[in-house]
Amino acid sequence: MSHPLAAPSSISDRPAWRLSAHFFRALFDFGVLSAAGTDSLKHMFAGAIGGFVASAWLMVIIYVSKYLGLWFQPSPEPYRRALLGDDMFMLGAAMLVGALVTLLVSSSLFPDERDFRILGVLPVKRSVIFGAKLTALAMFVGAFIVLTLGALLPLFLLTTRNPWGEHVFAARLLAWLVSSAAAAAFAILTVTAAAGLLGLMHSSARLQAIATSAKSVALGALVISVPFVVRLSDMGVAMASGQTWLLLVPPAWFVGLERVLTGAPEPWFATLATVGVAALVSVALVVAAIYAVLFRDFERLVLRPPVSTPARAAAGSRRLSKVPPSYLAVRLFAGATLRRGALQQGVLVGLTACGVAVAANGLTGSGWPGAAMWTPFAMMFACGLGVRASLALPIEHRANWIFRVTEDHDARADQLRAVNDVATIWVVVAPTAASLPVLWAAIGARAVIGAVVVGVVGLLFVHVVLLDWRRIPFTCSYLPGKRFIAQSLFVSAGAYAVFVLTGKWILQTTISSTVGAITLISLGSALAYWLRRRRLEAWTKRPLMFEDEFPDALMALHLWQ
Amino acid sequence: MLEAHGLTKRYGAFLALDHVDFQVRRGEILGYLGPNGSGKSTTVNTIVGLLEPSEGSVTLDGRSMTRDPVAYRHGIGYVLEEPHLYTHLTAVEYLTLVGRLRGLPESVVAEKVPTLLQLLLLWDSRYNTMTAYSKGMRQRVLLAAALMHDPDLLVLDEPFSGLDVTAGLLFRKLLGMFAAGGRMVLFSTHRFDIVEQLCSRVVILSCGRIVAEHDVAALMQPGSPSLEDVFMRSTGQDDFAPVARQILDVMQLR
Repeated sequence: MSHPLAAPSSISDRPAWRLSAHFFRALFDFGVLSAAGTDSLKHMFAGAIGGFVASAWLMVIIYVSKYLGLWFQPSPEPYRRALLGDDMFMLGAAMLVGALVTLLVSSSLFPDERDFRILGVLPVKRSVIFGAKLTALAMFVGAFIVLTLGALLPLFLLTTRNPWGEHVFAARLLAWLVSSAAAAAFAILTVTAAAGLLGLMHSSARLQAIATSAKSVALGALVISVPFVVRLSDMGVAMASGQTWLLLVPPAWFVGLERVLTGAPEPWFATLATVGVAALVSVALVVAAIYAVLFRDFERLVLRPPVSTPARAAAGSRRLSKVPPSYLAVRLFAGATLRRGALQQGVLVGLTACGVAVAANGLTGSGWPGAAMWTPFAMMFACGLGVRASLALPIEHRANWIFRVTEDHDARADQLRAVNDVATIWVVVAPTAASLPVLWAAIGARAVIGAVVVGVVGLLFVHVVLLDWRRIPFTCSYLPGKRFIAQSLFVSAGAYAVFVLTGKWILQTTISSTVGAITLISLGSALAYWLRRRRLEAWTKRPLMFEDEFPDALMALHLWQ
Repeated sequence: MLEAHGLTKRYGAFLALDHVDFQVRRGEILGYLGPNGSGKSTTVNTIVGLLEPSEGSVTLDGRSMTRDPVAYRHGIGYVLEEPHLYTHLTAVEYLTLVGRLRGLPESVVAEKVPTLLQLLLLWDSRYNTMTAYSKGMRQRVLLAAALMHDPDLLVLDEPFSGLDVTAGLLFRKLLGMFAAGGRMVLFSTHRFDIVEQLCSRVVILSCGRIVAEHDVAALMQPGSPSLEDVFMRSTGQDDFAPVARQILDVMQLR
C-alpha cells in the first residue's frame, strides 16, 4: 500500500481523477435510502433490467414482422417512409432517455455550496474541482449515450438490413451513431443548461422551491411526451413530404443530420440538419458559459445570502383554532414537503404524468369519444399510485424523532385523517376536475353526472390506496422492491385493467340512466363514508410505523407442481 | 422527580446499559458524564422515549414511561447533540409543527413561535428554510422546540456544540433559571467546565454502568479532587501524554 502522501503512481491515484470518480458516483446517489434500502434497490434494478430486456425482445418481434412485410412491397417508397419514421422514433427515444436521466441528477450537475464548503478548505484548486465536475458530467453523458445506442442497436439493424436499403451499411451505421449521439447530447445538455440557468438566477433558499417545481414540471412534460415519442414512427409520410411543422420537432432535426451524413441531396434534410447542429452548438455554448460564469464568480454565486419569503404557515387564525392541532401538523408537514421535497414531488408528478400520458394517448388517437369513458380512471389509478409512493418516501429520516416522541393514540386518527385528505385531493378531486371538460366534450351536459360518478368511484379507490397505511407521510424509512418485481408488475397491470374497465362500465351504465346514476351515487357515497370511518377507527388501534419492513411471509412459488 | 431504576438496554449480545439507577430531583441539573461509547446517548434516547428499555423502569413524577407513555413524554423537552431537523421547513414552520404535535392550541402557537424566535435571535432568518442555517442556529431552533410545551424535564445531549459565545451564555443562564423554577435538567456532556458551572450533581458512566456519583459543590471544595481527576479515575482512563506524543510524531512524517 502506498503512503497517502506519496506521489500518485497512476492516473487513478491522481486527485482530479478521484474527484471526478466521486462526482460521477454522486450522480447516482439520491441520499434517501438506508443501507438495506440501497441493497433492495439494486435487486429491484436487476429485475427492472430483466423486464426491459423482455420488452426489447417484444419490440424486436414487432419490428421483424413490420420490416419483413416491407421486403415484399412493389416499390421502395413504403420502406423509405417507414425508415424515416422509425429513425425519428429511435432518435426521439434516445433524447427522451437522456433528458429523463439528466433531470433526475440535475441537482449534481454543477459545483455547488456543498462542494465549496467541503473542498474549499482542502488544497484543491478551483480548476481541479470544475475540471472534475465537467469530467464527471462528460462520463455520465457518454455512459448514457453508449447505453442508449446499445439498446437501440438491434432495432437499427432490423430497420437497415432490407433489400430496399439505399445506403452502404457502414456509412449508414456511422451516420446513425453520430446523429443519435448528437440527439442524446442535445437533450442532456438542454436539461443541464436549464438547471444551470436556474442556479445562476436564484439564491439558494428560493432556488430550492423553484428548482424543485421546475424539475417536476419538466419531468411531467417528459413523461407525458412518451406516447408522442412512440407515435413518431408514424410520421414517416410527413417527413418524406417535407412538412415544415417538423422543424419544431427536435428528433426530426437529427434525422435530417443522419440523412445529410449518408449523402442525401434533399435541401429539406439539409435545413433540418442545420437547425439540429445549431441547436446542439447553442446549448453546448450555454452550458460552457454557465460553467465559466460559475468558475469566475463561484463564491459570490454559491454563497449569496438567502432570500426571506413569508411562509404559508400562518398559525393562530380563528378558522384554524377549531381544527385539531395534530391534523394541522400533518397537513403543514405534508404540504411543505410536497412543495419542496424534490424526490417526493418528482415521484408524485412523474407517476401522475404517466396517467395523463395514457389518457392523452387515448384521447388523441382514434378512440375518441369512447376514450373519454375510461381515461378518468386511468388518471385516477396513476394518481393513486403516485400519492401512495410519494407519501411513503422519507425525507431526513433521522429527523422523525419529533413525531416519535409526540406519538399519541388519541391524536393518531387526526394525523391520519390529514393523510386521508391529501390522498383524497390527489386521487379524487384532481382527476375528477380534469375529466369534467373531457366528458363535457364527449357527452355534453350529462358530463356533470359523469363527473360525480367518477368522484364517487375515486372516494372508494382512496380506501384501496390507503390499505394498511400506518405512516405519517415522509417519516418512515423506505425499502424499495419488497416484492418480486414481476409479481408487482403483474398485480399492478391486473389491478389497472380491472379498475379502469370497471370504472368505464359503471360510468357508461350510469350516464345512460338517471335512476341508475342516483342509485349508484347514493350507495357509493354511503359505502365510501362507511369505509372512511372504518379506516379512521382502525388507525386509532395500531401504532404508527417509522421503519419499513420486508413482508413477513415467505412467498412459495410451487414451481414443482 | 425523574427516577430510573435498573435501566438496562441490550442490542443482541451487547449490553449498552447495565442496571443504571439515578434520579433527577426538582430544581436540579444533573450532569451525565462518560467517555464515548459509555452509554450516555442510549440513556438519553431511553429517557426521552425513543428507545424501549430491555429491563428497568423510568418514571417522571410518578408517570411511568411504559404504562403511561403519552403523559410521561409530555413532560419532557429534548435537545439532541446532532440537530436532526426537517431542514426543508422554515424555523416558523418547524416550531409551528412541533407546537401542533405537542397539542398546543393555535393561539398559543401563534404567540410562542415568534416570541421564541426573537428571543433566540432567529427572527431575521425565520422564513428561510433551515438548509441555510448554521449548526448553532439549528441548535437554537431545537431549544425553542424543546421549550414550546412548557416541559418539567429538559433532556440535553451536548447542547453547546456549535453554539457561539453569546448563545452559549444565554443557554447557561436559561438552564440555571429553568431549574431554579423547580424543574429538572438531565445534562449529558463531555464538558467538565460546564458541568462544574451548571450542575448540582454529576453521574459518571463507563461501559454502561454508573461508576461514580458526586455533589459538584463538594468537588469544588479546596483539597478535593477535581472533576477531571474523578472522571479519569472512575472511568479507568490513562495518562494521554504518550498517545499525544505519538500523534505528533505521525503528523511530522514526511
